[in-house]
Amino acid sequence: MSVIEARDLTRVFPMPAGPVTAVRGVSLAVDPGDFVALCGPSGCGKSTLLHLLGVVDTPSSGTLTVDGEDVATLGDVARSRIRLRKIGFVFQRFFLLPMLTAAENIELPMAEAGVSKSERAHRVHELLEYVELSKRADHRPSQLSGGEMQRIAIARALANRPRLLLADEPTGELDQTTGQHIAELLDRVNADGTALVIVTHDAVFARRARRILTMRDGVLVSEERVR
Amino acid sequence: MSAFAFALRSLVRQPARALLGIAGVAAVGALLFDMLLLSNGLVISMERMLSTTGYDLRAAIGTAPPGRGPLIEHAGAIATRLRTLPEVARVTPLRLSDGLVVHTARPFAVRVMGAEPGSVGAWTVLEGRDVRASGEVLVNQHVLELLDARVGGPLELRTSAPGVRTVTPPFRVQIVGVADFPFESERGSTVGLSLEDVDRVSGGGGAQSADQLLIATAQGTTPAAAKAAVERAVPTLTAMTNAQVLVRLQEGGLSYFRQISFVLTTVTIGFAFLLVTVLLTVSVNQRTGEIAALRALGFSRRRAIADVFAEAVLIVGSGAVLALPVGLALSRLLDWILKGIPGIPASLHFFVFQPRALLIHGLLFAFTAVAAALYPMRLVATLPIAATLRREVVS
Ligand SMILES: Nc1ncnc2c1ncn2[C@@H]1O[C@H](COP(=O)(O)OP(=O)(O)OP(=O)(O)O)[C@@H](O)[C@H]1O
Ligand SMILES: [Mg+2]
Repeated sequence: MSVIEARDLTRVFPMPAGPVTAVRGVSLAVDPGDFVALCGPSGCGKSTLLHLLGVVDTPSSGTLTVDGEDVATLGDVARSRIRLRKIGFVFQRFFLLPMLTAAENIELPMAEAGVSKSERAHRVHELLEYVELSKRADHRPSQLSGGEMQRIAIARALANRPRLLLADEPTGELDQTTGQHIAELLDRVNADGTALVIVTHDAVFARRARRILTMRDGVLVSEERVR
Repeated sequence: MSAFAFALRSLVRQPARALLGIAGVAAVGALLFDMLLLSNGLVISMERMLSTTGYDLRAAIGTAPPGRGPLIEHAGAIATRLRTLPEVARVTPLRLSDGLVVHTARPFAVRVMGAEPGSVGAWTVLEGRDVRASGEVLVNQHVLELLDARVGGPLELRTSAPGVRTVTPPFRVQIVGVADFPFESERGSTVGLSLEDVDRVSGGGGAQSADQLLIATAQGTTPAAAKAAVERAVPTLTAMTNAQVLVRLQEGGLSYFRQISFVLTTVTIGFAFLLVTVLLTVSVNQRTGEIAALRALGFSRRRAIADVFAEAVLIVGSGAVLALPVGLALSRLLDWILKGIPGIPASLHFFVFQPRALLIHGLLFAFTAVAAALYPMRLVATLPIAATLRREVVS
């Protein structure tokens, strides 16, 4: 079964100057372990689609199932639960909480999911090692570099072992070398079994994916199988 | 991490904002607490003063306050009659007047109190002995100091009535003791005489007149029963229980304190509400990106709201607790200032602590915390996750 399956998703934003259709009739399935890169010119609807897939936004029409469950009828608590346990999010601007240490940032989604304290400590340790930042456990985000912050953010997204990780321009704020390190890390995350959907402008990064989907004006216009 | 631990971290992260909020609530809370102490303070203080005299009824002719109504003639005889009533334990006729102590070239004003020789509760003798006959006087410590006199020494009193003063010679008495007088003001001067001598000092011929009778109810009866018995025995008298005196005070001048304190309480709570709402709203607006990210990571709406609420509770709670010692200290200062008004009895307090004030203080601030958090909580509840994440990147 696909991790997520979108059928005919459309998202229209009602605007004073007339409705804007950011995503138009997109159908897409992401299988376990899949790696999808979402490309296309600015404003073509990549972020909007990613938000729909991540259950943070609601489509104007079309259906989305996560692990076979239709999310359309779910309330906020159930939708939050799905995001918490099944989907990880990585943002362009990291959005680490500045008042928490790196370790506490990673721990946060686990605490919210009700994971026991000892299990949390173990998992935080494991993830810090995974992203090679064990020495930075007690540092605040302000004491980390951009690349380090993004690695902590990836560890946070992986905390509850999601089956799918969504990332919107995860290298957008980083220089080329640092971006490459992040791309390598995400590659490893995928190799270890997590499905990825990544929005990127970086063609080299996109080629790490198995499939490159290109959007234009809210529509999926092409799909390229890379591997 | 619980909502409270989370909120605490947010506060610590922006110490200036947290301190501003807590200090603001504490300042407002101190004022509020003082208003609560003031709203009932005088009544409670008055009640305590009335009950410490040991008398629970006051009888006078008519309903004018003591000293303003007509005199009770033959007060001694009336007191004797009332003492025979089974409902009555003790009766003390009392007369209050003003006089001048002729000392050096400048006489000074004194409060003159008259009671029957040997009556209990009119005053408390500290040194020497009680007044037993005409020509004897008790003075308070302050008068003794002003005169630089000793017990056993002489004292000359004059009436303070302007017309009479010039024609009557001063009235000579002997100081037989030092006493504490009830309802004494901080630096007040009071002397105690027999009823007849007060009449003489007031320009009369030495009649045994009083302006009020202090009556103690006998054990096993109620003040109301004693009141009825007194009014039946001497129909010209109107007796008031302490409770009735208090009600009258509350309905009269003291109700202004209540009204003032109600208005100021409302205003101060309004300030606290605005301050906390503004601080929380600014804080939420600064953190929309973080909040949206947490929501995207699976924090429920309820949880995001709880974080804001916990922050409101922490700010308002710390401020309200801090407000208590500050308010208490402030109330002492204000009380001291108000007691500077001439003639205010030293044992009277404007601000009196009562557990009830603490309870109302707590409830009002609990209400404020909830009310102040409503708008910022709404902001968080209605925050569109996707649009916020997008806006944070675009801007
Ligand atoms: N909340 C919104 N309200 C109104 N219009 C929106 C909203 N979100 C997106 N849009 C519009 O939808 C379209 C697609 O936006 P989206 O952010 O998905 O593009 P994108 O492909 O991610 O672009 P970029 O590469 O610049 O991030 C744009 O025209 C945008 O103006
Ligand atoms: Mg985008």
